Amino acid sequence: MNPPMSMRMKTRTTSFAFALAAALVASALFHGRAVAALTTPQMIDILKIVDDRQRNNGDWRASAYLEQKEKDKVDVVYETEYFRRSSDQKFMILFLKPKSSAGQGYLRIDKNLWFYDPSVGKWERRTERERIGGTNSRRSDFDESRLAEEYDPTDEGEEKLGAYSAQKLLLKGKAGLDLAFPMIRIWIDKDTKNVLKRQEYALSGRLLRTSYYPKWKKQHSASKNGDVWYPEEIRFYDEVEKANQTLVLIKAVDMKALPANLFTKAWLESKSR
Amino acid sequence: MSKLWVDLMIAFRSLVQHRRRTAFLGTAIAAVTALLVLLTGLSTGVRETMIDTATTLSTGHINVGGFFKVTAGQASPVVTNYEKVMADAKKAVPEMAFAVHRGRGWAKVVSDTGAMQLGITGIDIKSEPAFASVLRIASGKLEDLAQPGTILIFDTQAEKLGVKVGDALTISAPTTRGTNNTIDVRIVAIAHGLGLLSSWNCFVPIQSLRALYQLNQDATGVVQIILERRDLEKIPEISERLRKSLEAGGYRLMTADPRAFWMKFQSVTREDWTGQKLDVTTWEDEISFMTWTLKALDGLTIVLILILLAIVVIGIMNTMWIAIRERTREIGTLRAIGMQRGSVLWMFLLESLMLGLFASTAGALGGAAIAAGLNSLHIPVPISVQLFLMSDHLHLSIHGSMLVQRIVVITLVTGLAALYPSLRAARLRPVVAMSHFG
Repeated sequence: MNPPMSMRMKTRTTSFAFALAAALVASALFHGRAVAALTTPQMIDILKIVDDRQRNNGDWRASAYLEQKEKDKVDVVYETEYFRRSSDQKFMILFLKPKSSAGQGYLRIDKNLWFYDPSVGKWERRTERERIGGTNSRRSDFDESRLAEEYDPTDEGEEKLGAYSAQKLLLKGKAGLDLAFPMIRIWIDKDTKNVLKRQEYALSGRLLRTSYYPKWKKQHSASKNGDVWYPEEIRFYDEVEKANQTLVLIKAVDMKALPANLFTKAWLESKSR
Repeated sequence: MSKLWVDLMIAFRSLVQHRRRTAFLGTAIAAVTALLVLLTGLSTGVRETMIDTATTLSTGHINVGGFFKVTAGQASPVVTNYEKVMADAKKAVPEMAFAVHRGRGWAKVVSDTGAMQLGITGIDIKSEPAFASVLRIASGKLEDLAQPGTILIFDTQAEKLGVKVGDALTISAPTTRGTNNTIDVRIVAIAHGLGLLSSWNCFVPIQSLRALYQLNQDATGVVQIILERRDLEKIPEISERLRKSLEAGGYRLMTADPRAFWMKFQSVTREDWTGQKLDVTTWEDEISFMTWTLKALDGLTIVLILILLAIVVIGIMNTMWIAIRERTREIGTLRAIGMQRGSVLWMFLLESLMLGLFASTAGALGGAAIAAGLNSLHIPVPISVQLFLMSDHLHLSIHGSMLVQRIVVITLVTGLAALYPSLRAARLRPVVAMSHFG
């Protein structure tokens, strides 16, 4: 015997309510698991992936164009060539253009950053805070990524950056290291693990610079035996002098082995003779 | 004794009898004394503030500094093997209360928004407790200056550089060998300005200064000797003794030159020698570029004191002339009944001295009270005045000995001013005086 219509309706409504409640609970549980804060090892793993994707495990040579825009000043474009060696963390930037800056360069050896100016023929020791060529870029912007070694991460959840879903981390510099910025807030693409955006802070909490990484490119590296990812374009926005910004374009990447005597003061000096 | 007592009583009664004149003249003398006390208090206050601040911020009472030259044309304000220098100085100066060593430098300090040239002082904050007593911290913690890679700056510098506690600064300076070196430092404290010395000076831990200039652990900039306050008058004698003792100990010394160390760079660079030479200076030498303010203030005080004393003298003489004129018949009567000329002179003099003593005592006490009141109000001074005062508020320093000195001076001046009119009164002939109608 079929139950009366009203009773059938009541049973159906109860089942629907139960199903809905179960779905909500399941959804809440699932969602809760998805937004739960990352553990420190998980965050370090993410940073290691970010670092590893950009690591070459060999030599590197590329051209970098730096366009500096400053308020009430004429835009300046620098053409540079930069070199690096993974094994001993050596690094060098040579300015090629404009003529007034040609021959200038930065050389990092034994964790010391040196600046050479051919007009005075003198070397000066600089720190990682040095603005490369007076632009808003720092030496570390051109170097291999070492976020996992240099910073301690804190999870700040997920965030949408346009079409991208990003993992947001707050990185605090480890003590005793010479870093360009002691605190960085970073947005990492959840799918590719490429950096999308960074906000760099002073220890006081003051925002100093915002960086955007709109274009990433990969290139095969024989020394790594895999692909190396690098930002083809970086945009730096000065948050202190709001009108100032720097555009960096990285071109002509070459990961073949470089001459052994390249990372020397003599080599850099010879380029302006 | 009883005669003096009688004379004093007569003088006192005479003052009371002519109470309007006494009140008028007494008030004038008291006001002048109070003004004198305040002026001297201001001058002494500025001097003491200057010494205290300067001897904490930038110099000892006596300094053993000097220059080290790698080549003849390159001089650095460096003292090598400073512990031995300090030990030898202690032997030569038994009056020493304590001694500290500090690094000296001059560097470009760069922030994200600006840059400025500043004097860099390397300090071991743990060994300088007096430092905290002079500085007033606006933000941050002074104790954090013990950590390497830190810096203390002053509020005007922070404003110019656009920084706050926690921000980073880059310091760039040439080392002793002429290569430019750079260090990054974190601001741990911002202090309120202390005048001229704080406007161009900042402090870093001594080890950071050594890192900047690539100096050894046994190198410093200067050994600063602090003496007890009672020995401050003997500074020229002690510094000369120290100079001779160091010379006898085999140190090479620079020719005595009463200027701040940074004013000697050019002349030292021109000199044809290399290695280490020590320089013994006093606190006055090290802030010679600003002691003119003290001299100017002292000069101004003397001029004002002379003007005030002239007013007192003229006022008293004038009043005494009036008094003698009014009391001519009284003088005649006294002379007629046998009072000697000397007694008449004494009577008038005593009256003036008594008035001077009472009025100047009241004035001095009043001045001291006003000074105490002004000090308690912590009256702020304009920035232009702060530069030279080395303090952001007015401070008057009144000492008991100074009060006694002022009372004695004013009383004597009052007496001297009354001397001539009193002599004239004593010379009056009784007949003429008695027939005087005034």
